[in-house]
Amino acid sequence: MSKSIVKWLDNIIADVEGVGYQRKSDRRIRMDVASDTLPTLLELLRGRASYVHLSAITCVDWIEDDEFELVYHLWSYENNTLVSAHTRVPRSPGVYLSVYDIYHPAAFFERDIHEMFGLYFEGSPDMERFILTEWDGPPPMRKDFDAEGWVQRKFNFQDYHPEWLKQLEDEGGGVAIRPEEVRAKKRADKP
Amino acid sequence: MRPENYQAKNHPPSNEYELNFGPNHPGIEGNYALQLKLHGDQIVHARADGGYLHRGFEKLMEGRLWIQNIALVPRICVPDPAPMELCYSLAIEEIGGLEVPERAQWIRVMQLELSRISAHLFTFGGHAATTGMYSNMYWGVADRDIILDLFEELTGGRVYSIYNIPGGVRRDLPEGYLERVSNTMDYIESRLPDYDNLFFTNQVFVNRAKGAGVMDQEQALDWGVTGPNLRATGLAFDVRRDDPYLVYDQLEFDIPTEAAGDAWARTLVRRRELIESIRIVRQVVKALPDIGGPIRCPIPNPLAWTVPAGEAYARVESSKGETCYYVVSDGGDMPYRVHVRGPSSMHAVQVLENLVKGCRIEDVAQIMFSLDACPPEVDR
Repeated sequence: MSKSIVKWLDNIIADVEGVGYQRKSDRRIRMDVASDTLPTLLELLRGRASYVHLSAITCVDWIEDDEFELVYHLWSYENNTLVSAHTRVPRSPGVYLSVYDIYHPAAFFERDIHEMFGLYFEGSPDMERFILTEWDGPPPMRKDFDAEGWVQRKFNFQDYHPEWLKQLEDEGGGVAIRPEEVRAKKRADKP
Repeated sequence: MRPENYQAKNHPPSNEYELNFGPNHPGIEGNYALQLKLHGDQIVHARADGGYLHRGFEKLMEGRLWIQNIALVPRICVPDPAPMELCYSLAIEEIGGLEVPERAQWIRVMQLELSRISAHLFTFGGHAATTGMYSNMYWGVADRDIILDLFEELTGGRVYSIYNIPGGVRRDLPEGYLERVSNTMDYIESRLPDYDNLFFTNQVFVNRAKGAGVMDQEQALDWGVTGPNLRATGLAFDVRRDDPYLVYDQLEFDIPTEAAGDAWARTLVRRRELIESIRIVRQVVKALPDIGGPIRCPIPNPLAWTVPAGEAYARVESSKGETCYYVVSDGGDMPYRVHVRGPSSMHAVQVLENLVKGCRIEDVAQIMFSLDACPPEVDR
């Protein structure tokens, strides 16, 4: 990648206030941007810097900061560089803007994030459930979602007590240590 | 959707009717469904319905050690598992600053290309079956099996090799292995004229596939299409060349493209990629005996292994398109977050929904196979 493109990019992002810019390697650029300027940045990157391919939108749940981190991975077929634009939005009320009008692939990723993290995107064309159609629990990819605890409460397979097991227990055998109880205890002991 | 939750809707009188295509349908690829709206035999509306293969990999990975996840990731894409392992390993190597020995990189390239050939043979088989030509499917599965034999010898696993680990590969090549790889490549190449006669130049296939599921380059870029499907619209882009990883920048290969953007063009691009992959494997077979050294860099006790805090986005060109892993570490012994971006998350949802609109019911299966959509990648 030539130096002129680097300069060109620098000029473009100078138009947007408060963009943290970090070159991680030849073809990887990290940008940190406030959540209200992110759509502007994406529009500039698409319209003026040829970043036409939205590779993915990732959501990371930073529960200690009470924030979701959204990462927009953009690829330019002309510059052959990948820009990862990072932004943070508060976990509650969990609403953010859709970038569907800039990048159409965003529809799938935003739908997925809404389903898995409960972050709603205003303006996204389709926020219906896709994978967890009949899910009635909390958004499962959040860090405070205890998968095994939920399974134990939701399904009553711990009551599974067939005849053969009863016979074994009558003879003094059976399950001595229940693995799910051990794991539950481990989770409870964790600071 | 569970059958007991299905409720028939009352529509105003019209000539349209609904059809649930899948998840148990011989014409659909994997456990996946399409809710179609038909007018006669023409599709007026399509809606993808996934989730039948959801196993929560991303969540599971957050509760397992870095090294344990190696056994988990190949299961995300069954026909082409090697890029999944590799992509996860590449991301960890970038965060942890691990230097992969050169020999391991060449072995990885060989495994990736063998995996690509086997995945393409499988897809041709499926595609041919949707147009009523089952012989090609039998042949494709049989020839894929010969490559699986090579995987079994090298890694111990036929489908899920669990061979790439962060820092290198698990085992060195057995004695005489490269010769057997070379023989297999000769065999696959000798089979290609037969495949041409049976399938690629077969008028049944050509007439059915030409003009089915057409998209132009602008639409493809707009919908986030990658891989062979993008190359079938005329854009010569390949992650292996334009964002090189491993030793792909030292290898010679061409990027086949087609202009038509229909099912026929997409299949033809894959057919020509087979030759390029065979070319790459031959270069690796030639180069590997001169590259000595270790096959992995030392990593600490894997059961107490912590990766420094950081994040990385690794990209790999799999047989389906651009496969990416975004891995975040908080310095612990497990990943903080792993996001899997499978190419089929675009191809099987919005691209498929758009492409089948307006086509006839018998072309739906064909279009899905020509996109090489892999439902496990969508559900993850």
